[in-house]
Amino acid sequence: MLRSPHRKAALALTAATLILAGCAEEQGGGDEGTPEETGPVVIGAVLDITGAGASLGVPERDTLELLAEQLNADGGIDGREVELIIEDNASTEDGAARAINKLITEDQVDIILGASRTGPSLAMRPVAESAEIPMISLAANQAIVDGSEWVFKTAQNDSVVIENIVADAADKGYSTLGLARDASGFGEGVEELFNSIGEEFGISVIATESFAPDATDFTAQMVNIRDAGADANIIWGIPPAAGLAQVAYRQLGIEVPVYQSHGIGNQVFLDTAGAAADGLVAPLGRLVVRDQLPDDDPQKEVITAFADAYEAEYGAGPSTFAGHAYDGFQLAVQALAEAGTDGQAMREYLEGVTDYVGVSGTFTMSADDHSGLTAEDLVLVTVENGEFTLIES
Amino acid sequence: MSDFFQLVVAGLSQGAIYALIAMGFAAIFSVSEIINLAQGEFAAMAGLVALSAAGAGLPLPVAMLVALVSVAIVAVVMQRLTIAPVKKMTTLTSIILTLGVSTALKALMLLIYGPEARGLPALPGSNFVVAGVSVRAQDLWILGITLVVAGAVVFFYDRTVLGKALRACAEQPVAARLVGISPRKATTLAFLIAGLLGAVAGLLASPISLTQWDSGLTLGLKGFVAATLGGLVSIRAAVLGGLLLGVLEALVAGYIDSGFRDAVAFVVLIVVLVARPGGVFSRHAQARV
Repeated sequence: MLRSPHRKAALALTAATLILAGCAEEQGGGDEGTPEETGPVVIGAVLDITGAGASLGVPERDTLELLAEQLNADGGIDGREVELIIEDNASTEDGAARAINKLITEDQVDIILGASRTGPSLAMRPVAESAEIPMISLAANQAIVDGSEWVFKTAQNDSVVIENIVADAADKGYSTLGLARDASGFGEGVEELFNSIGEEFGISVIATESFAPDATDFTAQMVNIRDAGADANIIWGIPPAAGLAQVAYRQLGIEVPVYQSHGIGNQVFLDTAGAAADGLVAPLGRLVVRDQLPDDDPQKEVITAFADAYEAEYGAGPSTFAGHAYDGFQLAVQALAEAGTDGQAMREYLEGVTDYVGVSGTFTMSADDHSGLTAEDLVLVTVENGEFTLIES
Repeated sequence: MSDFFQLVVAGLSQGAIYALIAMGFAAIFSVSEIINLAQGEFAAMAGLVALSAAGAGLPLPVAMLVALVSVAIVAVVMQRLTIAPVKKMTTLTSIILTLGVSTALKALMLLIYGPEARGLPALPGSNFVVAGVSVRAQDLWILGITLVVAGAVVFFYDRTVLGKALRACAEQPVAARLVGISPRKATTLAFLIAGLLGAVAGLLASPISLTQWDSGLTLGLKGFVAATLGGLVSIRAAVLGGLLLGVLEALVAGYIDSGFRDAVAFVVLIVVLVARPGGVFSRHAQARV
């Protein structure tokens, strides 16, 4: 009984110490949270470096590292060094959510880039929204930014791609489409978009098959697509799956034309698909046909400068995905330079971006449109002899 | 009907790869009651070694030979370093040990070869169409080589003195030692065989389904399921199991939903383990103790 008051006192003392320590820590944290004028600016990135999205995430990582190095060599942002922290989400949703939480709580980043693919990006969105930190996704599906406050993106929206495909299909007089789509976030809602955008042209999807982003055998899907007998078919996926699907399409002797999405803009696709890629049609960013662009193309200068720097560093040309990373990084740097490290100010800056000429297109953001690209930012491309070739319109 | 056969062809080709992996499981388990979870990694490693050898300018057959030899060495070294030193090896211990080795091998491959998937060039031959069914030359290579390899492995275990000696180690370890068979050497030899089988699978699959640092995971799982169809001890049943699993997957993907493809193996596994844990094809459907 005698010990009891002592114990209480000891407990109280311990509690008081803890509370004080907690306050001190909180205060410390608060200091770091408010915009500082000195010290490094921290950009966090969550990319699909391993797993199904590796052919996207690896060039994106390479691009960010190259650009950060260049920027720091030029003196950083207003004399402040840029610290780049890249996390691998292993192409998984839970990996992406864990990574963004780590970047926010442990590394206290000022702005976040990523993820490479739609699924992981969607998993990151609620975290960025609740932490009120600007996030720039490099993935395609419009759902990533629809109705978002803090999330922006640099890859062309799937709807913009579909507008291009539907317009071309309408020109050629197709009315029925077969769709083999990625079963993950990238392919979600694609069929519905084709039907709604195609409605005024009398174009509709009559058969849909799906495949896992890491699938390797496409016989079953392509057999069913062949049996559907549509006027033209669409393969909607990312490399290497999209390339293997293209091979299966030709191997099963399907004669009707095939469209691919803007997810195929890299060398991995061309290597995987080989001769099977010849003759496909895909709306892609101008980067992959940079040597065929007219000199008066407004993007030509930006694209060429980036492609040359990338090639000098890594020995091979950049992919579409490297371009998405370039735009994401430049937008982030502009926001940091113009608005400082205050999240709200950066968010407002990004929402007001007008006519920023990037690699993926010319961006004009607004409160309703956090993607900023239109159908104009894509060109129709085919593959001839293993190279992307601009289709003259 | 041509759809059906098209799916069957694709299933057989994929199933042959599973069969090669499954034989690797059986080759080791039937000798030492060890379950080697790094079996799939042998396949991925063979593909990656061959890819980098071919990338360095070696002709394809030489690159494949380099891969076979390297993986065989890795398999033997793995057995010497992680399996041989264990005094009292149980199946459970072996699972934990080889899971660790599998993780380490994957990490090593990721470090050396990077995360991106690549494919070897296909073996020579042109694709053709029979009765509306399109067949890849590679499919024939895969099926042909798998059957030849399976025949050789069955012959070795059933007809040669050395092969019978290996089996004796599992069935009567004490008696085997009494007549002069070393269970340690037998296990080393079993790992060598399993390494080669895994490597062949990896080299054959690479042109069709590409190779990356973690492609061994799925292959290993599917191969394991195929092997359980034969109770993990029968080479013949492992081959049959692999082919059956491949065809079943293709048919489910084609006629039901491609999303269920990967579920097939696990449904089969559960059904086999509950209904006939000694293997579907074995005459004595009892669990081995």
